[in-house]
Amino acid sequence: MQRNSLHIAVLAALVSLPCSVSPSQAGPTGREIMQLEDNRPDGEDRKSVMTMTLINKRGGERVRTVKIFSRDFGKDKKSTMVFQKPADVRGTVFLNWEYDQPDHEDDKWLYMPALKKERRISGASKNEYFMGTDFTYDDMGDRNVDEDTHTLMGEERLRDRDCWKIEAIPVDPEDMYTRRILWVDKEAHLLLQGEYYDKDGLVKVYRALDVRRENGIWTIFRSEMDNISREHKTLMEISEIHYDTGLGEELFRVSALQRGHF
Amino acid sequence: MRAGALVLLAVCLLGSRATLAGEEATVLPEWLQLSGWLETIQSVRANHWDEAVTSRARLRLELTARYQWLDGFVSMDAEKNWQIEDETGVEPHEAWLAHVGDGWDLRVGRQIIIWGKADGVQITDIISPPDYTESVSRDLDEIRMPVEAARFRLLGSSIDTELILIPTFKAAVLPTGDNPWAVSSVASSDGYRFSSMAATEPATSLANTEVAVKMSAYLSGLDVAASVFHTWDDYAALHRQVREANGITEMTFAPRHHRLTVFGIEFSRPWSDFVFRGETAYYKGRYRELSDGERDPLPKDSVKWLGGVDWTPGNDWSVITQLTGECILEHEDILADRANTLMATFNVSKKLLRQTLTLSNMVYLGLDDREIFNRFKVDYEARDGLHLLAGFDVFGGDDGQFGIYKDNSQLWVKVKYSF
Repeated sequence: MQRNSLHIAVLAALVSLPCSVSPSQAGPTGREIMQLEDNRPDGEDRKSVMTMTLINKRGGERVRTVKIFSRDFGKDKKSTMVFQKPADVRGTVFLNWEYDQPDHEDDKWLYMPALKKERRISGASKNEYFMGTDFTYDDMGDRNVDEDTHTLMGEERLRDRDCWKIEAIPVDPEDMYTRRILWVDKEAHLLLQGEYYDKDGLVKVYRALDVRRENGIWTIFRSEMDNISREHKTLMEISEIHYDTGLGEELFRVSALQRGHF
Repeated sequence: MRAGALVLLAVCLLGSRATLAGEEATVLPEWLQLSGWLETIQSVRANHWDEAVTSRARLRLELTARYQWLDGFVSMDAEKNWQIEDETGVEPHEAWLAHVGDGWDLRVGRQIIIWGKADGVQITDIISPPDYTESVSRDLDEIRMPVEAARFRLLGSSIDTELILIPTFKAAVLPTGDNPWAVSSVASSDGYRFSSMAATEPATSLANTEVAVKMSAYLSGLDVAASVFHTWDDYAALHRQVREANGITEMTFAPRHHRLTVFGIEFSRPWSDFVFRGETAYYKGRYRELSDGERDPLPKDSVKWLGGVDWTPGNDWSVITQLTGECILEHEDILADRANTLMATFNVSKKLLRQTLTLSNMVYLGLDDREIFNRFKVDYEARDGLHLLAGFDVFGGDDGQFGIYKDNSQLWVKVKYSF
């Protein structure tokens, strides 16, 4: 449970990414495109309900539902995640203070209703899977652009949208994946598809299945991670999302965790 | 009280019937939520496989309400215990109302309040007294009893101040009678006759009200807190009335709860994949037994402390280790307790099969009496909310708080369904 919660913070990254940069006049490089993707606008605060359906090779399903609140504090970001399903983790709350400075460690707390107290938890291991899904910490979007070397491979049309196709090679040779091929939407600056390779070949494929504007902000409402090597799939759906609703600062304090409702 | 709990139970079951049939079909209004769990545990004694140590089924129902400016929570337990018949019945658990203001909140009623940074060890965490009736076979949250309290919190951006008033005293519950976890505190002896009076508990009054104040700061990279709790000792001191008659010493125990003031400090600091935790408390006024057994216990102050490290190295591994101890100040040789005691805890767990299977091993090591309590546990989530568990509890040593249970080492299975 504790490890799971370490990863929840990065879910917020899916619905909370700061402002954009401009590509160079000669056409964007792979790195510039990934910076566009990383920094796309998403409002000052946001709240959403996310459901993840885990599907095994026999078609059996498990459902995890998380309510997510996040708000920007300058360049830093705070997020609160409340587990709603399954029932045995209902009411568990995760609070994350994420800092812009790369060398500033995030602050994380976890509140479990059974223990009736909040506790500090440490940083996450990047190769762990979030709540048994096929998404790892890295997959969720908390990966720094400079952790990979990006090369623009060309342009492709994918599901009726124009995309840049980019190869990402990890700087760290010990990384979980040896190579990723990424399709970034040229208009929305969103990751539309990703292929993840390790030394044995293709491991899994990410697909954004429903991309729309919500309050003028491009949002991925439905996506899936098809884990080919494990014959398992995770469907991620946002049932509701609201931007710039004026979330109060008190929602992101440790004292809010014990109240049990958000 | 039990009649009221039965009415609440009926209301909850009425609501839950539709809820369990399908979440959209609940008959409860939107501002009311029903949740809970149902579990059963059965065990056999490790050295007598035909004997049960733990055998019970329990239903917990929880109603959460949020109506305009008021929050409410009620929970209750219904239990059938085949091993300890007194535990069978329906009992209310928590029942409180709360209001959240601008920069403050207030909660009034029966509630469980947990303090501290320790895991499974009580240093400053003595607001809600423990129920040790079946402490080993119950989850940590189940052995904490609610207190009737008012809790007011002043909430700052990084510093919270908490004030707790508990007008009604509640003592810790210890296992007695035929309970397999009961420990005989009075040994029979030639030339002695023992008897015991009912414990004298403080009456409910303003003067006897327990008061706790705590200030907590949540900073970047550091949590710190300081607290004072002016309370009554949850454990009664066994005062004696000794009388000689016809060559026999008649000793009558008169258990009495005494005032206790506890000053606490705690911290928690993350670093990389580690979290370092520490907690210490100065206990002023706790009474200690004497080794000769004939004289009244003596008040002696003590310091309890704990240091812990949580390590989460990745790949669904978790390692938690703690060292804790108590030092009795101005210790005298006539005391039954040692001047210093030490205990270590070690907990390692690993999740497998997409985090549906958890293997864990938790060990308590009493370093003074060379005693041990080790629990190996397998927890499989068969479907969402349904857990199948099995475990092996081993007690070892000749003395101390775990060694005395060496005949209670048990193999157990448990099923728990949360809804």
